[in-house]
Amino acid sequence: MSDFDPGRRRFLGHLGLAGLGALGASSFLSACASSASGPATGSGSGAVTIQSNLSSPQAKAAMEKLIETFNKQGKGTASLNTIASETFRTQLPTYLTSANPPDLYTWYAGSVANDYASRDLLLDVSDVWKSLGDYPQSLRTLSTDASGKQIFVPMNNYWWGFFYRKSNFAKWGVQEPKTWTEFLAVCETLKSKGVPPIGIGLGDTPWVASAWFDYLNIRINGAQFHRELLAGKQRFDDPKVKAVFTRWREALPYFDPKGKAYPFQEATTALLAGKTGMFLIGTFFADAAPKDALGDLDFFRFPIIDPAVPLAEEAPTDGFFASAKTANPTGTRALLTYLASTEAQEAYVKASSGIVLPANPKAKASDSPLVAKGKAMLDEAKELTQFFNRDSSDALQPTADTALTKFIDKPDQIDAILREWQAGAEKVFKG
Amino acid sequence: MTATISTTSVTPVRRRRRSARLSPLLVAFVLVPFAVESVWVFWPALQGFWFSLTRWDGMSSPAFVGTDNYVELAGDATFRGALVNTVIWLVLFGGLSVLGGFGMALVLQKERRGVGFYRAALFTPVVFSLVVTALVWRVFYQPDGIADTLLRAVGLESLIRPWLADPQTALYAVILPALWRQIGYVMVLFLAGLKAIDPALHEAARMDGANSWQRLRHVTIPQLKGVNAVVLSVIVIDSLRSFDIVWSLTKGGPYHSSELLSTYMYSTAFQSLRLGYASAIAVVIFVLALAVILGYLVRAFREEA
Repeated sequence: MSDFDPGRRRFLGHLGLAGLGALGASSFLSACASSASGPATGSGSGAVTIQSNLSSPQAKAAMEKLIETFNKQGKGTASLNTIASETFRTQLPTYLTSANPPDLYTWYAGSVANDYASRDLLLDVSDVWKSLGDYPQSLRTLSTDASGKQIFVPMNNYWWGFFYRKSNFAKWGVQEPKTWTEFLAVCETLKSKGVPPIGIGLGDTPWVASAWFDYLNIRINGAQFHRELLAGKQRFDDPKVKAVFTRWREALPYFDPKGKAYPFQEATTALLAGKTGMFLIGTFFADAAPKDALGDLDFFRFPIIDPAVPLAEEAPTDGFFASAKTANPTGTRALLTYLASTEAQEAYVKASSGIVLPANPKAKASDSPLVAKGKAMLDEAKELTQFFNRDSSDALQPTADTALTKFIDKPDQIDAILREWQAGAEKVFKG
Repeated sequence: MTATISTTSVTPVRRRRRSARLSPLLVAFVLVPFAVESVWVFWPALQGFWFSLTRWDGMSSPAFVGTDNYVELAGDATFRGALVNTVIWLVLFGGLSVLGGFGMALVLQKERRGVGFYRAALFTPVVFSLVVTALVWRVFYQPDGIADTLLRAVGLESLIRPWLADPQTALYAVILPALWRQIGYVMVLFLAGLKAIDPALHEAARMDGANSWQRLRHVTIPQLKGVNAVVLSVIVIDSLRSFDIVWSLTKGGPYHSSELLSTYMYSTAFQSLRLGYASAIAVVIFVLALAVILGYLVRAFREEA
């Protein structure tokens, strides 16, 4: 699947669809779709068009339901336009820069949104935020651009962690590790029992490796350094970055060798079938898991390496931003206010099957022990990061994919790899 | 037939005069497509040249940077790798599909019982979309997939590797499905060419005592000159634009080891959002295709003159 886009929570789930996206055939289709629906907003009071990349069946149905409810409330009308994720990603700049763009978009918080804001493409939604007084400060900061105005309205977030099957951990006689040393000990035990300890899926989805880099970096060098590095204010050939890889190398012998060849969806299957011990992945992977396996799933946080480093977790936040050129800013803000409400967020969580946490602090998440544990983990964290591409840009992601897959293959060449990475990153930052 | 010949030979003067005055219909047939092409093909192509001299992210307006992009290309190791891979691709994919297609056409040219079935079987892969082809081959290459099972069955476990994820094998593992498809296509082109050869030539050569190798070398191959030009153009163009199969199988990875100019251009343009630099790569692809095909055409014309 051309799921190059790491931060995305919903996946098409099938290898083939993405390939179609890559062919470009579907971008033509979507271009037609968007041009058909875009101009509908021409008259200031027309329906608000919302472009959604939530194309998995459950998420799509959940969005449809939300829009239906909004339309019944009489505060305006909205129409939903669902587009395959990969197409959405490649088309988004085109949507935003077109003369008559759709009004509202599903997208990710963080520097990906701020980048568009810096080009004056996003609608100022500070008004909407006035009614979101009880949202945590972390989400407010995340939704604020460089000039101090809010440009993003979060819908929900999710977390990353080492997922495993409780029954298998019991069978192998291992416990959740808390520290790096304990983690390596668990790996050693699993390896001695003939199970590849760490699952990964880099074939077709090489960005999954970025979770390892992100986590090792925020555990060793802290979230602040991590963000500066991803913003181009630090260098990838810095000794501090090399320290990340020195740690990583300790765990490399425990990686499933087959993980290089298959995508994360198959790595999920391998984990559920007990062919790997654990898997560092975001909660979206459970979309592809059979229902009966969900109850047996548990996770632990990425092990602590240096207790002195403030605890940070990856919590990619999904939500909405609007085009600065919308013909109907009032209607767009009304829809955003509705989408941020307790009612809408609870309805979304209920209708979509994914393991997500609503952004609105008053909205209840689904009451599974797994979700409660995830929420507790994020609440405990001093800092939240998004994900490699969301904290930097989609353009920087391929440089990470190249460097990280090469490191996993050839850890000896780390110095050369980091030099190349720095050179590649400089090109991206230069434009 | 005889009537036509006599008319043309009797009235050459009138014919020439008629063709000198262009019919309005003919003009329309030339100019309308030309106008459409200008807007949809030539103008964007020319713009591509202009963009290759700029720095452009697709959102802000392009900034002129002169030949900076070309200077960067000269020192770009990934670009060099992609160029080498494209040459390997051109030689292996092009060469083997010509050899394979020609061989198959020779074997299957005689009308025998069941020959239609074999021709159809070889042509079937052409019918599939390359993305579907890629899906099938991905199943073939996946860990513990068909390729690995086959190797195990014949006791060659030691050769097993992650075919698409190993930088040593990725490029070749992608060429194979592309070949699987192209051979059928080239075979059909050659079959048509072989059918057009006058059997009397072979008859005459046989009378003169030429053996089958000599007939192939001195009768069949020279007679296929027209088809060769078509096949060469098709092969060169198909090689340089090969994108879908590579993108669906490896995306040019792992770490650029199966990168072609086409995939590098795509990822530079639509992932790194460096459209100026990507346009420079596109110009290089264009020049390469033009050079190979012009080179052949010039030679072909010189031989005819």
